[in-house]
Amino acid sequence: MRIVIGEDLFLLREGLVRLLTAHGFEIAAAVGSAPELLQALTEQRPDVGIVDVRLPPTHTDDGLRAALAARKQVPGLPVLVLSQYVEQLYARELLADQAGGVGYLLKDRVFNDEAFTAAIRGVAAGGTVLDPEVVQKLIVRRSRDEPVARLTPREREVLALMAEGRSNAAIAQRMFITEKAVSKHAAGIFGKLDLAPSDDDNRRVLAVLAYLGS
Amino acid sequence: MYFVFMAALLGGTAFVLVRGKGLARPSPAGLRGRIRAAGWGLLLIPAAVMAATMSGRAHALAVAELAVAAALVLGAPRLAARLVPYAVIALGILGLVLAVKYHDGFTRSVLYGIVPAGGWETWRDQLVLPEAGLFFALGLWLLLKVNAPGAGPVRALIARWRDPARGRISPALGLLLIPVTVMTELLLGPRYWFGLQFPEVATIVLADAAIATASLVLLFRSRIWAATVAEAALLVLGAYGLAIAAFYPDVPGFVYGFTPLDTMHHVAFAGALQGTALVGLGLWLAPRVLREHQGSAELAERASQLTERVQTLTQTRSVAVDTAAAELRRIERDLHDGAQARMVAVGMSLQAAERLFTSNPQAALALVAEAKESSSRALTELRDLVRGIYPPVLADRGLGDAIRALALDAPLPVTVDADLPDNVELPVASAVYFSVAEALANTTKHADARSVQINLSHRGGMLRAAVTDDGVGGADSARGTGLAGVERRLATFDGILAVSSPPGGPTIVVIEVPCASSSAKTSSC
Repeated sequence: MRIVIGEDLFLLREGLVRLLTAHGFEIAAAVGSAPELLQALTEQRPDVGIVDVRLPPTHTDDGLRAALAARKQVPGLPVLVLSQYVEQLYARELLADQAGGVGYLLKDRVFNDEAFTAAIRGVAAGGTVLDPEVVQKLIVRRSRDEPVARLTPREREVLALMAEGRSNAAIAQRMFITEKAVSKHAAGIFGKLDLAPSDDDNRRVLAVLAYLGS
Repeated sequence: MYFVFMAALLGGTAFVLVRGKGLARPSPAGLRGRIRAAGWGLLLIPAAVMAATMSGRAHALAVAELAVAAALVLGAPRLAARLVPYAVIALGILGLVLAVKYHDGFTRSVLYGIVPAGGWETWRDQLVLPEAGLFFALGLWLLLKVNAPGAGPVRALIARWRDPARGRISPALGLLLIPVTVMTELLLGPRYWFGLQFPEVATIVLADAAIATASLVLLFRSRIWAATVAEAALLVLGAYGLAIAAFYPDVPGFVYGFTPLDTMHHVAFAGALQGTALVGLGLWLAPRVLREHQGSAELAERASQLTERVQTLTQTRSVAVDTAAAELRRIERDLHDGAQARMVAVGMSLQAAERLFTSNPQAALALVAEAKESSSRALTELRDLVRGIYPPVLADRGLGDAIRALALDAPLPVTVDADLPDNVELPVASAVYFSVAEALANTTKHADARSVQINLSHRGGMLRAAVTDDGVGGADSARGTGLAGVERRLATFDGILAVSSPPGGPTIVVIEVPCASSSAKTSSC
């Protein structure tokens, strides 16, 4: 699996390269600024781009903007955005094109390399992986008028785990229920959110998007 | 011969006037400077000739003067050039002396300039005074032109005369107080009091000294008030003069201005001419004096405003300094007890793991997992700390998006409507962000609201944030410490907080801050 890395801090960039190489990923390019990143993403067309939100030249959200620009040029280009902090605002912007293949994680999730590589593979496969911290904020929210409010607590729990990018099997394991029950909950969620039956992955993305309340 | 020299003087002056714009001012050094200075100095010769001619055509003296002038021009051209204005002014003084002599009955014919004046009755004598005036003017002009010693004070006088604030009274007009008090003293002082002459000279001197001192004290204490008193006195004295002219016959012993009131003729003159002149001068001064007072009243008001401003700034600055210090203390403590302590724990876990690596790999692995956990927690704490110092999204996206992010994180539906300029100053943006965050937190905690609306706008250099909820109301910034803290935080930026929260709601919290903080920095919105 080919990967492009955009990270300006040398230590972190090299750490990521070492970690991912060790797990058998192929590093197509590892760059340190937003313009280079945009070029690498659009020219190399990697299976996943791993992007730091804050990059030169302005050291604000240049990385995020580069990722969004790249996805505009190459629709659905899988991008996993890493950051020292997570904002629902950015999560929404990443998911807004509804094309999936988006990840948004705190940088310290790299510590858990199994979960991290799973997230990379999930994003590469077109899934949506949101940081538990973002999802946590979603759960806190008391949305009364939104369609999400119609979900049962159980369904909400399933949707939260879905947003974190977990598969039905992983959700079943986590919630101590059968995979079949998870599928049933998922169907309930899709129904209540008025998501027409189509590609299951896409419906998962849309459900998460609805969850974000956009 | 004489006319040749006079023609040389006038011609030379004319030449200098036409050509010599750049000739003057500190003469350049070197040969050119010498030649130029010599050119100016040449004017000394006709002046000397004229002076010599006036002193009764004494030829020996004329020769001596000419010789001195020529020697100066050749030997010390710069000195000669500097002497020229004084020579011309001296000619003017000679003219004055001549005019006075004619009035005294002096009849000998003398050539003055182009006027061969002689005898009291000759019409040509009348030309001496104007000519003398011309010489004075020419002398002064030359003084400035060649920058001779004494040019500085003359320039200063001219500058003072040309008051830049035209139409406004110059405080120097307070000097009028002196002639006015002198005149008052002459008219009403103890010297003459309704025909009674005061006998004791000592009393008069004492009274004069007292009046002069009072005038001077007033003049130095407040020139505006000196001018005011002078102006009022002018009006009173003028009216008095007019009254004398209208009602009083001759009053021997009294003096009005320049005129003793001894004959009807003088009384009429004093009243009609001097009284009118004084009233006229007083009326001319009146609006200017009034304007000056108005100006000083404005100044006084401005001064009191500034004093108030300084008090406010002193107060808010001390609050800002205290807040910043407390904030730094909090950050230090958070780092010390939080992230720093956790990093120590990470180091210790790793060190223990290193020791157990070969003997007990299982335990070592557990310790490494613990270290990972600790570093994760440290990161979380650092993240929270950074958010409290300066939210990253505010740095990345500015105030509008930062408030939107804040709204998204709120546990109840919040709509944000932002119309903001791009260049809100960072400190102002930060203050508004934390104020809105506090207001929103209060709403979430106390208001039991279903939804919140945040409006951000800017108008007339003010940034306005309104947080409106549909909750239970009854909020009071005086009771809670939160809103009071917001108020203090905003005061540093001349911002204000207003809370409208009737029981039953809705609660509206309005924050207004000038876009540019009151430092030397500028920003526009």
